[in-house]
Amino acid sequence: MTGVKGMLGAVVTAPLGWLARLLDAPLRLWQRVAGQGGMVAFFLLPNMAIFTIFVLLPLVINIAYSMTTGAALFLPDRTYVGMGQYERLLRCTDYTNLMTCQEDQFWIALRNTGTFVVLQVSLLIVAATITALILNRALRALSFWRAVFFFPVLLSPVVVGLIWRWILDRNGVLNAALVGVGMDPVNWLLERNYAFSAAIGVTIWAQLGFFALILLAGLQAIPRDLYEAAEMDGTKPARVFWRITLPLLMPNMLVVIVLALIRAVQVFDEAYVLTGGGPGTATLFLTQYIYEVGFASLLKNPGLAAAASILMGGVLIVLTLLQLALGKRNERKGKLK
Amino acid sequence: MGRIQLHDIRKSFGAIDVLKGIDLTIDEGELVVFVGPSGCGKSTLLRMIAGLDKPTFGRIEIDGTDVTARSAADRGLAMVFQSYALYPHMTVRANMAFGLQNTNMPKAEIDTRIGEAARMLEIEPLLERRPGQLSGGQRQRVAIGRAIVRRPTAFLLDEPLSNLDAELRVSMRAELSALHDRLGATMIHVTHDQVEAMTMADRIVVLRAGKVEQVDTPLNLFNRPANLFVAGFIGAPGMNLWAGQAKGVSVQLDSGALLPLPLGVRVPDGPVTLGIRPQHLRPEVGGPIRAEVRLIEALGPESVVHADMGAGGGLLAVLPGQPDLGRGAVIELGYEPQFVHVFGSDGQRLA
Amino acid sequence: MSRAMAFLTRRKGGDAWDWTDVFTFIWLGSAVFIMFGPALWLVLSSFKSPAQLSEFPPTLLPYEAQTVAVEGYDRLLPLFSVSDDDGTRTLAEVRRVGTVAQMVDPANPAEVQRINIANRTPVREVGFSWGNYLDPFLRFDFLNYTKNSIFVTGVATLITLLTNSMAAFALSKYEFRGRGFVVVLIIATLMIPLSVILVPLYSIVAGVGLINSLWGVILPTVATPTGVFLLRQYMLTIPDELLEAARMDHASEWQIYWRIVLPLTAPALAVLAIFSVVWRWNDFLWPLIVLSRQEVYTLQVGLNAYAGELNVQWHYLLAMTVITMIPVVLVFIFLQRFITAGIAGTGLK
Ligand SMILES: Nc1ncnc2c1ncn2[C@@H]1O[C@H](COP(=O)(O)OP(=O)(O)OP(=O)(O)O)[C@@H](O)[C@H]1O
Ligand SMILES: [Mg+2]
Repeated sequence: MTGVKGMLGAVVTAPLGWLARLLDAPLRLWQRVAGQGGMVAFFLLPNMAIFTIFVLLPLVINIAYSMTTGAALFLPDRTYVGMGQYERLLRCTDYTNLMTCQEDQFWIALRNTGTFVVLQVSLLIVAATITALILNRALRALSFWRAVFFFPVLLSPVVVGLIWRWILDRNGVLNAALVGVGMDPVNWLLERNYAFSAAIGVTIWAQLGFFALILLAGLQAIPRDLYEAAEMDGTKPARVFWRITLPLLMPNMLVVIVLALIRAVQVFDEAYVLTGGGPGTATLFLTQYIYEVGFASLLKNPGLAAAASILMGGVLIVLTLLQLALGKRNERKGKLK
Repeated sequence: MGRIQLHDIRKSFGAIDVLKGIDLTIDEGELVVFVGPSGCGKSTLLRMIAGLDKPTFGRIEIDGTDVTARSAADRGLAMVFQSYALYPHMTVRANMAFGLQNTNMPKAEIDTRIGEAARMLEIEPLLERRPGQLSGGQRQRVAIGRAIVRRPTAFLLDEPLSNLDAELRVSMRAELSALHDRLGATMIHVTHDQVEAMTMADRIVVLRAGKVEQVDTPLNLFNRPANLFVAGFIGAPGMNLWAGQAKGVSVQLDSGALLPLPLGVRVPDGPVTLGIRPQHLRPEVGGPIRAEVRLIEALGPESVVHADMGAGGGLLAVLPGQPDLGRGAVIELGYEPQFVHVFGSDGQRLA
Repeated sequence: MSRAMAFLTRRKGGDAWDWTDVFTFIWLGSAVFIMFGPALWLVLSSFKSPAQLSEFPPTLLPYEAQTVAVEGYDRLLPLFSVSDDDGTRTLAEVRRVGTVAQMVDPANPAEVQRINIANRTPVREVGFSWGNYLDPFLRFDFLNYTKNSIFVTGVATLITLLTNSMAAFALSKYEFRGRGFVVVLIIATLMIPLSVILVPLYSIVAGVGLINSLWGVILPTVATPTGVFLLRQYMLTIPDELLEAARMDHASEWQIYWRIVLPLTAPALAVLAIFSVVWRWNDFLWPLIVLSRQEVYTLQVGLNAYAGELNVQWHYLLAMTVITMIPVVLVFIFLQRFITAGIAGTGLK
């Protein structure tokens, strides 16, 4: 382990070291001239410059962008419309019927995303909890089992999407199995409900290992003697789970739930490759809506896309703040220990 | 080379004044020890001298040149840290070479210096190891070696022995003293440990709350503490300090006893504190001090007696041998008057 | 074998079979199947010929039809196993007319027999269509896509490591005004996803002229707050005394960074490097937006474009998917422990 670490460290630092040697003389000079403050500036500059240009600046101008209209790319060339884009996004004549909304696609994407978030996150959490509990049962070959669940996590969403597209194909292996046991084949990706379920199932498949791992770390941090004490008291297993395991797992569980929510809200890659949003608009999610309105469709409307992304960002900020607050609380708890 | 002068050094961290005006001259080749209670500013002062921190006010001179504005690297000093601060990813040799390479010293010269230092400190077999593979004492030597190869104007050592076990500390103490004699370089040594201070120092600087309380040789500190703080701080067990009223040639203690002052010593009448070291008390039938024994710590060659003089007057006496005393026994003690210390109400020494 | 049995029948303790034991076996058993199965199926399928891929139901292993050289015919003839009233034998097909095939016995090429095609099945052997892998590289742009992906991943990771570690160093080891603000700023943007800033980011990247350039893919990703955060947390644990010792040793601040702090941060750098490689290799949405010309496609974008074609050539697509998967699988096999430790410790992904 340390050998690998050391080797990796060497591989990582070697090219940097080479660069560093070249820079030493000029930087000594700079340190003499500008002092320690100058060096701090030097160390911060590259990262902060990139960060400012490509993260902060877009965040700021996104708001301005969402108040403009037209096809022009650059902000100064665009026409100001105030809250026009938001109005367009949100206006419906009859809120019980999405088809009467001006941007019915947005509402459909919103509804799909909402449904997706609720179903996917709850199923994912249940599956991840069960998996973590099972992996925590002092299994032999734990690292093998961990690998089994974790393996899809690193796969690219495109690969995940394609793997499952191939399996769920009308002539795919899943249908062959169904026919094999005497059932009718199903058009998995071309029927609305099946396609939606497939999007849920596939994203769970891809993320399960990640969340199970965080929960497992939480479970392993619960002191064994608590369980032993419960066993001495003759506590029933179910009661042990509800009264000991779950409360002590709560900090990790909350983090997992928030992370899962944040990711589910942004669902795009796997689903897009798997179904392309179809059939019809059955699996059209918010990110895809933003992508298509902003970049892909014939009638591009970047202002509208920006407005939609800000609405989505609002949701994510709430979730992020929630996570930070929970993180703080955990930190404090950790310190108490 | 190696004369360090501090002129009115002050340091504040935000609103907190940590050093409150320190004047001090350390002569070439001297081994000076800073002692003082935890948090009194010893490390801070040492770091000012090293150049790792800049004083808020004041001037630091090395060999007559003002170095206050110079960086740590340019002062020609070497420091041994309490945690040793050995670079964990470098071998012992690389640790020692690092500073020399940074000054572009030729490789041959570096090798000679490391060889010399390693021989002196007997760490030659360890040169290719990493700090993680060394014992505490070995690390200590390497840290000193890293300082030695630099041939610094002065060595600064911040509690270098405090991480060692008691036995090793005693032997390293002796070695450090020997090293100082051999190198003849100026050394400033910070410690908590009185014995360390007493045995190693040419002069001891006693600090309290950012101020110098007294600077003197170890024996002078012991024999003539300049104030109550030094009196209580130096010597173990601590000096007996009793409040009382001076009246002519004697002092009436609050606990009732009337103790004579040394011959020829006159202090103005009024409130004083009288001090006698426990070692200077001896059993004396009909002696001026009567007390009831509370506890006896028999150490073998001597016994520490905790006793009560009544009216809140506690007493410690170190008596030779193993006197046959029980709890509740009444002892009578006397002393040579020349061992009495008298401090005024401002805490300064009167006699 | 007995050890395997012992393992398979290990129970929670006690002698009776608990329902949780049963459940554990079911869960883990199906997990092996469901988690590994799809990827395995992908790999197996990627070696099949187009004809085989369109078969239903599919075979497990890839097969190739057997052919023979028969005297008097220039081309190789496909072999069939024929069984009818005359018994079972192996014949080669010369030509097919409707439901009747003209076939010859390779041992006796002169005599042509007429066989109903219902009475014959092709003779096949396990065989791999390596062409699925070679053709896309030789005939299509996949070599280019791969190069682009490697370039993006490598360069982005290097820049990430360098700039993030420098910033983390400044933010962990120096006191300066505004430090708290910068740290808070970085933490606050930790979770801002790309999809929220898609549109303005595009306009900025276009503004600096990086649309359809790999640098347009690289730059927005390298100043990751996550990396700075991770490295800073690690650097905070390096004792300041080491830096002070180095200062006493005449080291410049830059030297302190690269000779002292960087080597000591190696474990965290390694974790960040691994994650950066996986992230950049897998990036999809942003390259999809920035890259619209084939020459600059990365593998992920190329794959998606390929999969979106009207007539999907699955045999090539599956093979290319496997290739895209390989680096990540290698990372997974060799560095799994790092990754799992990294995630468990930091919630990084
Ligand atoms: N960077 C700093 N910021 C604020 N206060 C500081 C700082 N460094 C030291 N102090 C304060 O200055 C005082 C003196 O600290 P210093 O480390 O010099 O004590 P010391 O005499 O070395 O104590 P010890 O014997 O425990 O090492 C302490 O009260 C400490 O809290
Ligand atoms: Mg200290």
